This record gives sequence, C-alpha cells and structure tokens, in this order.
Amino acid sequence: MITRKSLSRRTLLRGAGAAVALPFLDAMVPALAASGPKKAPVRMAIVYVPNGIMMDGWNPDYEGKLEALPRILKPLEAHKNDILQIGNLTHNTGRALLDGAGDHGRCSGSYLTGVQVKKTLVDIKASVSCDQLVANEVGKHTRLASLEIGLEDARQAGDCDSGYSCAYTNNLAWRSETQPLPPILDPRALFERLFGDGTLLSPEARKAQAAERRSILDFVRGDTQKLKSDLGPTDRRKLDEYLSSIREVERQMEKAASDNQQIDPKMDKPYGVPADFAEHFRLMTDMVTIAFQADLTRVLTFLVTREGTSRAYREIGIPDGHHPLTHHMGKVELMEKVRQINEYHTAQFAAWLTKLKSIQEGDSTLLDNSMIVYGAGLSDGNRHTHEDLPTLIAGRGGKYFTTGRRIVCRRETPMCNLFLTMMDRMGLQMEHFGDATGRLDGLDLS
Amino acid sequence: MLMNRCFLFLTATGLIAAASAQTSPPSGANPFTQHVAPMLTKRCSGCHNGQLASGGLNILPFRDPKSIREEREAWEKIVRQVRGGEMPPNGAPRPAQTERETFLKQVEEAFERDDRSRKADPGRVTARRLNRSEYSNTIRDLLGVEFRADRTFPTDDSGEGFDNIADVLTISPLLMEKYLTAAERIATRAMGLEKLPKPMESSYSIRSLLSGSPQGGGRGTIRRINVGTIEVTHRFEFDGEYQFRIGLPGERGAQAKPVKMNIWLDGQLVESRMVETKPSGLVYFDPFSEEQVKLTVGEGDRVLRIAFVEDEFLTALPEKDYFNRRKNKFPDTVMVVGPFAGTGERASRKSILRCDPKTGPACVEKIVSTLARRAYRRPVTAAETASLVRFVNEARRKGHSAEYGIRTALVAMLVSPHFLFRIERDDPRDPTKVHRISDIELASRLSYFLWRSMPDEELLGLAEAGKLRDKTVLRAQVKRLIDDPRSSALADDFAGQWLELRNLDTVKPDPDRFLYWGPDLRAAMKTETQLFFDHILRNNRTLAEFLDARYTFLNEKLAWFYGIDGVKGPEFRKVDLATDQRGGLLGQASILTISSYPSRTSVVIRGKYILQNILGTPPAPPPPDVPSLEEEAVGTSASLRQQMEKHRANPVCASCHAKMDALGFGLENYDAIGKWRSKDGKFPVDASGTLPDGRNFTGPSQLKSALLAELPDFAQNMVEKMMIYALGRGLGGYDRIVVKDITRRLATSNYPFQSIIYEVVESLPFQSRRGELLSKQDKPVETAQR
Repeated sequence: MITRKSLSRRTLLRGAGAAVALPFLDAMVPALAASGPKKAPVRMAIVYVPNGIMMDGWNPDYEGKLEALPRILKPLEAHKNDILQIGNLTHNTGRALLDGAGDHGRCSGSYLTGVQVKKTLVDIKASVSCDQLVANEVGKHTRLASLEIGLEDARQAGDCDSGYSCAYTNNLAWRSETQPLPPILDPRALFERLFGDGTLLSPEARKAQAAERRSILDFVRGDTQKLKSDLGPTDRRKLDEYLSSIREVERQMEKAASDNQQIDPKMDKPYGVPADFAEHFRLMTDMVTIAFQADLTRVLTFLVTREGTSRAYREIGIPDGHHPLTHHMGKVELMEKVRQINEYHTAQFAAWLTKLKSIQEGDSTLLDNSMIVYGAGLSDGNRHTHEDLPTLIAGRGGKYFTTGRRIVCRRETPMCNLFLTMMDRMGLQMEHFGDATGRLDGLDLS
Repeated sequence: MLMNRCFLFLTATGLIAAASAQTSPPSGANPFTQHVAPMLTKRCSGCHNGQLASGGLNILPFRDPKSIREEREAWEKIVRQVRGGEMPPNGAPRPAQTERETFLKQVEEAFERDDRSRKADPGRVTARRLNRSEYSNTIRDLLGVEFRADRTFPTDDSGEGFDNIADVLTISPLLMEKYLTAAERIATRAMGLEKLPKPMESSYSIRSLLSGSPQGGGRGTIRRINVGTIEVTHRFEFDGEYQFRIGLPGERGAQAKPVKMNIWLDGQLVESRMVETKPSGLVYFDPFSEEQVKLTVGEGDRVLRIAFVEDEFLTALPEKDYFNRRKNKFPDTVMVVGPFAGTGERASRKSILRCDPKTGPACVEKIVSTLARRAYRRPVTAAETASLVRFVNEARRKGHSAEYGIRTALVAMLVSPHFLFRIERDDPRDPTKVHRISDIELASRLSYFLWRSMPDEELLGLAEAGKLRDKTVLRAQVKRLIDDPRSSALADDFAGQWLELRNLDTVKPDPDRFLYWGPDLRAAMKTETQLFFDHILRNNRTLAEFLDARYTFLNEKLAWFYGIDGVKGPEFRKVDLATDQRGGLLGQASILTISSYPSRTSVVIRGKYILQNILGTPPAPPPPDVPSLEEEAVGTSASLRQQMEKHRANPVCASCHAKMDALGFGLENYDAIGKWRSKDGKFPVDASGTLPDGRNFTGPSQLKSALLAELPDFAQNMVEKMMIYALGRGLGGYDRIVVKDITRRLATSNYPFQSIIYEVVESLPFQSRRGELLSKQDKPVETAQR
C-alpha cells in the first residue's frame, strides 16, 4: 500500500517496516556483558490479566510434575518445564471486608500492594507495591529502576468500579501510598524511554546534553525547595513527589553516564499503537526483552488490560466485551468465549517466553534468570472470588525455583507469601509484606 | 428472601407502629418531630428496625432531629430512595403523594437549616499539576507551538469523573522524563533552532492498496471514503512545510467541466481549487494528472482528506464506471514530501525575541523576564529573572549563541514547578484561616476553568493591576472568555467527560452487526454532541434543551444515518427537526453508542447513564459478590424485556433496576449505535416503561417529557459537575449550600447555561480558599526514595 523512498534517512531508522523482527545479535549486548564474565542478574516481572480466569481450564486435576496441561495452559506446552503452577493463593484484601461493592477495583489495587485500598474517588491511598520495594533496592544497579507497561489505555471518562478511583484499575505499581505509576501503552513511548528518541548522538554531544540537563534539574530543585517552605502539608506532598521524580531522573542520568553506553536496539522506532492485540503484545515484550538483556532494568509490571475492561477480541472472533462475558451466569457459549480469551492471553505470554528462552546468558537462558508471575486478582470472574487465584511463575529466578510442577498450598495461603518469597530472591530481606504470614515453602526442591 | 419475609411482617408491625405513633403526641412545634419522625415510624420501621435492619438500615435512631447533622450521608440516601419512589417498595402500603412530599420537604428544610448553621467553608484545592490538555493548551498559548501531550505523556488518572482533580494528578519518574524531553523539544521549536533533516517522500496509493502490494514504510494509512474522497493519515516528524502531490487518475469526456477539489487537514479546510477533468491531450497509457499544494504542518499524526465536492458529473455516471479510467477521474494517490524549512521566521521565535539578544544583557533580561512572567502566569522577581539569565551566560561561556542560552532558560522554565503546577498560597500572616485568593490566582482559576489554558495578557494585566475583583470587570472578563474560541475546551473537556463522550474514541461496535459503523460516523457523532453543547453554551440557551430540543447539528453522513433528508456535504450545520425521533442529548447517536455493549443495547447501562450523568442520582452499586446483571439471548430466544423482567423478580435487584431498566427501555427504539429501529431481532421494540413514581411513558419522546419534569435535578447535577470541574476537587458537605443556592437562582430565570458559569465564578469556593494548619506535627508524608 505504501511505498517509501528515502531521499535521506536518519541514521537509526533503517530496516524495512515499523515492526521488524528483532535480530538478537550478541554485538548489541552492552557494556555489562562486554566487561567480562559476571553472574547474570535475576529479573522479576508480574504479568496481570483482568476479570479472573475460567478455572476449569486453568487448574490441572493433579499435583506434582506437569503432565497433560489444561486448556488455557495448553499454549505453554513448549515451556512446561519452565513453569511452576501454584494453587490456593488468596488475596484476602481484595475481598469486601465491609467495603461493599467494587471487587474489580479492589482486587486490582491490592494485587501488588497487599493492602485493602481506600474506597474513594479522589484521595487515593494504597501502599508501596512489592515490585517498587524491589526496585528501590536492585534498581540502583540499572538505568531504570523499574518498568511499567500495559496494552490498554486508561478509561477516559465515567467511573471505574463502584466508588473506587480509576487509579486503582489503571495502575499496578505504587511508588508510595498515594502515587501510582502509570504504565506505558504506546510502543513508541516505550522505545523512547528505553533507547532515547532514536537519534544516536556522539559521545561529546551526549555529554553536553547530560551536563545541560543536570544544571536545569539543579535549578528547578533549588526553586522547589524554596517554594515548598511556605506551603501547607498537602501541597508540600505534591512537590515532594515532584522532587523524588527529579531525583530518579538524575539517578538514571548518572547511571547512563557511568555505563557510557548507548544501546542501539536494531529496530525502527515503532509508529504507534498497533490495532492488533497480539502485535501490540509482541512489540512491547520484544522491547522489554532487550531491556532485560541489556540490563536496563530488572523489574517489570505488565498490566495486560484493565480490571473490569470491556475490550472485545475481534482478533479471535469475539465481538463481546471481556467483562460482560465473564458474568456468564453459567451459559455454556459465554463461558466458552471467556476460555478463548484466557487462552489467547496465555498464547501471547508463551510467545514472549519463547523469546526469553532463545537468549543465552552464560550456561543458562534469560528465561532461566527471570521469574515472571502470570496471574489475576480474581479467580472466578463471574462470582468475584478472591481465593485460589490463578497463578504461575515462569522461569527459575536464577537456579532457585524447581519448575515443571504444580504445587497446591494450604487453602487461604496469602498471595503476599509468594511476593515475600520473591523479594527474598531479589535480595530484600523484608520482615513483613501486606498480609503475608510467612514464606512460601516448596518452590525449590534442589 | 429478606424482603419477602419483611413484607409478611409489614402489615402487622406497620399497624402497631402507626398506632404507637399516634399515641405519642408530637413534642413541641418542631416540624421535624411533627412530620418526619412519625412517617419513619409508620412507613419504614416495619423492615428497617433493630431486629430486621433490612438493607443494613435501622431507621429508629433517625427519628431524632440530631441525626440530620450526625448521620447526614445516610439521610441523603433515605431521601434519594423516597424521592425516587424506590422506598417504600412495591407491595408495601404506599404513602399518599402529599404525605411523601411533605416528608421530603421537611427533611430538605432540615438539611438546609443544618447547612446554614455551619460556618461557611470554601474548601481547599491542592496544588494542581497541569493535566495533558492543560499542558498542550498552555504551550500553544505561551509559545505558539503545537504539542500533543496526549500522545506523549502517560494518561492522567481521574477522580469524580474528571481528569483535573488535584489529588489524583501525580508525577511519576516516567512523567518527569517526558517533561524534560518535551521541554527541550518545545523550546527548540519555539526558538526555531530545530535542525530539519533532508526532505523525504512517502507515497500512499489506493490502487496498490487494492492490488495487495506489500506495505512499504508503514508510517501511515490511506483509505477511500467514497468515489470522490480519500483520506491519508500520516505522521509528520517535524514542524515544517510539506509538499503534497495528489494523483488523479482517469479522465472524463472532452466536454467535461472542471470539478472543485477541497483539501482538509485535521478537519480544517485548507485548500479549495478547480481541477480540470477532460482529457489532457497528452498521450498516457493510463490517463493521469497531478495537483500540487504546499502546506505548513505541525509535528504529529495528521489526517489529510481530499475530495471532489459538488461533483454533478457523478449523478449521471453509472456506478460500474466509477473507477473506469476512461470514463471518470478521481483522487487516488497522495505523496507527502518534506519537511522544507518554512518561509519566513517562525511567529513564536519572533514573539520571544522582542529585541536582539546580541545587543547585551539588558535585552536578554527583558526577553527572559517576559517569558517567565507568562510561563509562571504571575509577576516574577528580579532574583528569579537573574537565576534564569544565568543559563544564557553559561551558554555563551561555552561558546553557544545567546539564542541557544535563551532556549535553555526556557527549558528550565518549562520543567519548573511554577510552570507545571498551579500553586496557590495561604495567607502568610495566618496560614490557618480562610482567605480570598489573590487576583493573580483568580486569573488562572478563570482561564483554566473556561479555556483549560493560561490567562492571556488582558486577564493577567487586570489581575496585576488589582482590578479583577471589580464585579463589572470580572463579569466582562467571564463574558470575554466564554466568547473566545478557546472556550470550546468546555465542549472537549467538560462535556467530553461529563457525558463520557471521550469513550466514543475507544468503543468498538461489532462491525458484523453494525454495517454502517466506521470512523466517519464515529467522528460525526462526536461532532454533533460537541456542537450541540457549544451552541447551548455560546447562545446561553436554557439547560432544558439538553433534554429536548427541536434542532441538532448534522452533516450529510449523520443526517443519512438518522434518516433525515436535505443535508448535503461534509460540513455540519444546525438542522431543525421535523419529527420527535431525535432532539436532545438522549436522541444523539454518540450517547446511545457509548451506553451500549459492542453487540447490543443495554437497558441497564442506559438507565444508569441517565441516572448518573443526567439526573445526578447514580444508583447504588450492586451489593458485593452479586455480579452485575447480564442480558443475553436477546432477539433469539426471548425478547429483551422478558429477560429483564426475570431478574427484576429478585427483590434485591429490583429496588434499583426498577428505575434503571425503565429509563433504559425508553431508549430501546435506538440500536447499539443509535440507529432508529422498530424491531430488535425478530421481536418488535417495546419502548414503554413505568417510573417508580408511577408515571408511564412510551418511547423516547415521552421519556424526554418525563425527564423534563426533573429539570431542577438535572440543573443541580450540572452545577455540581461544573463546580468539580472548575475547582479541580471533589465537593464536600460545605459546598452543598452553594450548589443549592446557585440551582435555585437558575430556576428563576429558566436555567440559562451561562448563568451557571457566572454563578460558579462568583461563588465562595471559587473566590476563596481555606488555609491549612501548619504545625510541627504536620510532617509531609515521605514518598519512596531512591
């Protein structure tokens, strides 16, 4: 349809088409790998899908070694030995507990924060999410402390769920109890965040740019301190958020300067948001893969779509909204459509795992050195249940988890126990997190 | 279950309670104890008593007048239920109309007495970060640079239905990165220092699209709207001049007349010219001609539409010959070439460089302080100017030009909290007390309310001169701001969120069921509602026209979709309606589409939409663990109505759904994209309903009449929404009296729209602010540190 003859193209924009497959050349692995043999870091990711999952297609009817996979897990057949399926994890803070309606808003807000979020439309309050606790520590070693991505734009108008602010369903990660971190949705914006605006600058030019930015940030920081001193506490809190974000940007710049490395992702800057779900998913996870590989970040949260979303999946012939479908009231044909959506999601996830697995890191793979939770904040989306949440971990988190199994915990085991265990693996020794009652046993058999 | 059991009790206990109420004489002349308490005993305590506490409510403590103050929220709920006719429920003895009205009137009066007995409180707005549309508009008005923040910054969270609520607008590290890079880009463009790359060309062709040629650059799309119209979406990477080469294959007969070709850029007509259609006389294997046009385009995704208009030739041409190149000529290809450096200096650069900075420090200072005053929307101190001028000196020391230094100072201003936030100060002498905000702060409140943008020179000047508090001056400024084209922000941002119009951009009706659905229709629907809103605003029409009006705004596409004859061409115009099928918001396809599922209508969503957005009485959310109700199998195994009646048999659902569904049924004559219909599947549409208060209606027209009777509720809802939007905060109890007074005054003049704006501007919460106690204990909450 479109031909594009370059009279002159900018240096970086090469290759055919916006969405080229990524050539995973060893040459692009930056300073980290080049600087000599080093133990590969562990990456932690959480992939969240909304509106629960049809549990009859999720839970195998056995424990132990994974054999025949149920319908929704089928797409992960090739990765059977890389996953750990965990039964009976519960998020009690997602339940009503006297707060009334709003299971979607609540379960999304509590998923990574482990607290019952404040039921409000305005003065939002949750808690620092586990990924951010990790980012505060391991993020010191990488350019970006953490990465937040998603595939669906925030709801633009109207209310979100029964008196819960949209902030709870639009975001997974919380940097403080009042500050959610918005996911990046546009592949182009993600590209720019990871790799810059696509122009390769000379080392001198980059140095000059960094110096100028530092002096500007110094200036506004000084200005803000002055301004803050005569404001009331709530206004000061807003400016504290601003200052803390400035500090983070400065830290990124310092890190970038000490890496002394500009990463060339060997791909065109994406054009925008692809209409096709699978394409969007692939483009975003392709870039995350590079970010993990190049150690730009070690922490990811991925809000596939929003809790309560009514997205239709025309890509697989489903014109009805996801959320309305999950209230299937036992109707066979509606339940089948929900299963198809669930399966479609795991298929995209499986494709990402394939990519991660294709990347060698010493004697293991990038997937081996990752631990990726795939799960939802509701199990039965029809009845809004918060126990036996569909949960699996992909990757071994280094040589930590013994995968290829299904384990079933005691009923009502807090989901936060899993997060606490993962935080251990990331080198944090937290005493408490959310409503955790302890670590999760039995993940490692070796 | 509970409810049924309760009904059995009702007759017995109700009688006893009624009897006991009669035996105890009213104490004193308090109207509350006289009228309200007895009704609670008689009508409510049968179920809502200490033992049963139906719905979690025991009514007995509410018989104490003190409960008005102490249990206000619960009281409001009671009033809503009684007024809406939901309580006492169907099946229970109903109070007579007069009894109900006396009760409501007395409670309302008790509310108001209580509200008025409290100290007036203007509330407090937290420091507001500019949201995405405010950022874009402010950059446009400050520097003349077009910047699409909505394509660059992460989505703003919203609260209370609006995305300008201070408390939920946060700054993440991601946003800070974006602010920094955006500021660099904007400042460079404003100063005209951007280096343009060599021109590139991209070509789009319908013909190769149809022949399935592989996608080339993939940076845009082309589509055909109809035989004479094509549309290209292209991403322009740079501001600059671009050349457009429009390919017109084919030829018409030797006698054919020239045809008018129009070009629109993002919906704006930018070029109109006559194009020759007869054979050129040159020898082509395939007849072809080309038209060229040069346009200045801002960076970003743009939509270019090219159309032959008023093309009478087509009326005589058989459809099979539309694309026969020997018989017809039509637009088919577009080549975009550029960017070229624009002719002449950028206007923004000119306005910044008011003197030649090479002439020395005095000029630099003048340039920087002028910019800072406008960017910070307030006078700046000499010290502030000096600290910014340092960037210019530093740049020069490093061998850059003074202009480059000014650019850097501008970047610093654009990431400064003085630009990114609207900050209001407490009274330094006593930060705890309520105070009138300063004139300067008022100027920004006004401009961001009506324009979503910074104050212009006149407004800021008046504020600096201390004249803005003069009532005549203030009213004149409000009038001026409303009359300015920038007030269309109210249609985009206020109406876009109040009416949820923004969701129209993301709805995806099932294309297999709704063959007419497409981007043009979607855009036309949105435009109709925006123009309608804008018309009522600018012409100060009564709010009643939102509910019912005998006119609307249509173009050919939408008129055809509505089945209205005589509207030709893509331009929108005001059209008087001959029938009552359309008219008012609820007859507009935009609203009917966003309140539907992708594949079918939903009486529940539409009913909820009316309750929430029109009447301002949102239904209570379903109780926890009860999934929302679903309508299925509509039009296949049972009619929608039969399906819905079924779930309303459940009393827990019925209390809300009786009203929601009834309203929704009134709109069943419109399908899920708002097209008129008389059948749903194989069942005839039954658009009749009964409201809980007993009024019957059939069809949208009668529904609208029923809603018109609720005009005071609608108006109060508008006032509340407008206050939230104007203030950037949710409303508190102390705002109730303000809302009530405004609504009441509106009623006396039949609810003219602009009066809401004047009233809001002149209200206490808009003019004043509560101080915030500063003490040693109030340590700011620490955010996560890295």
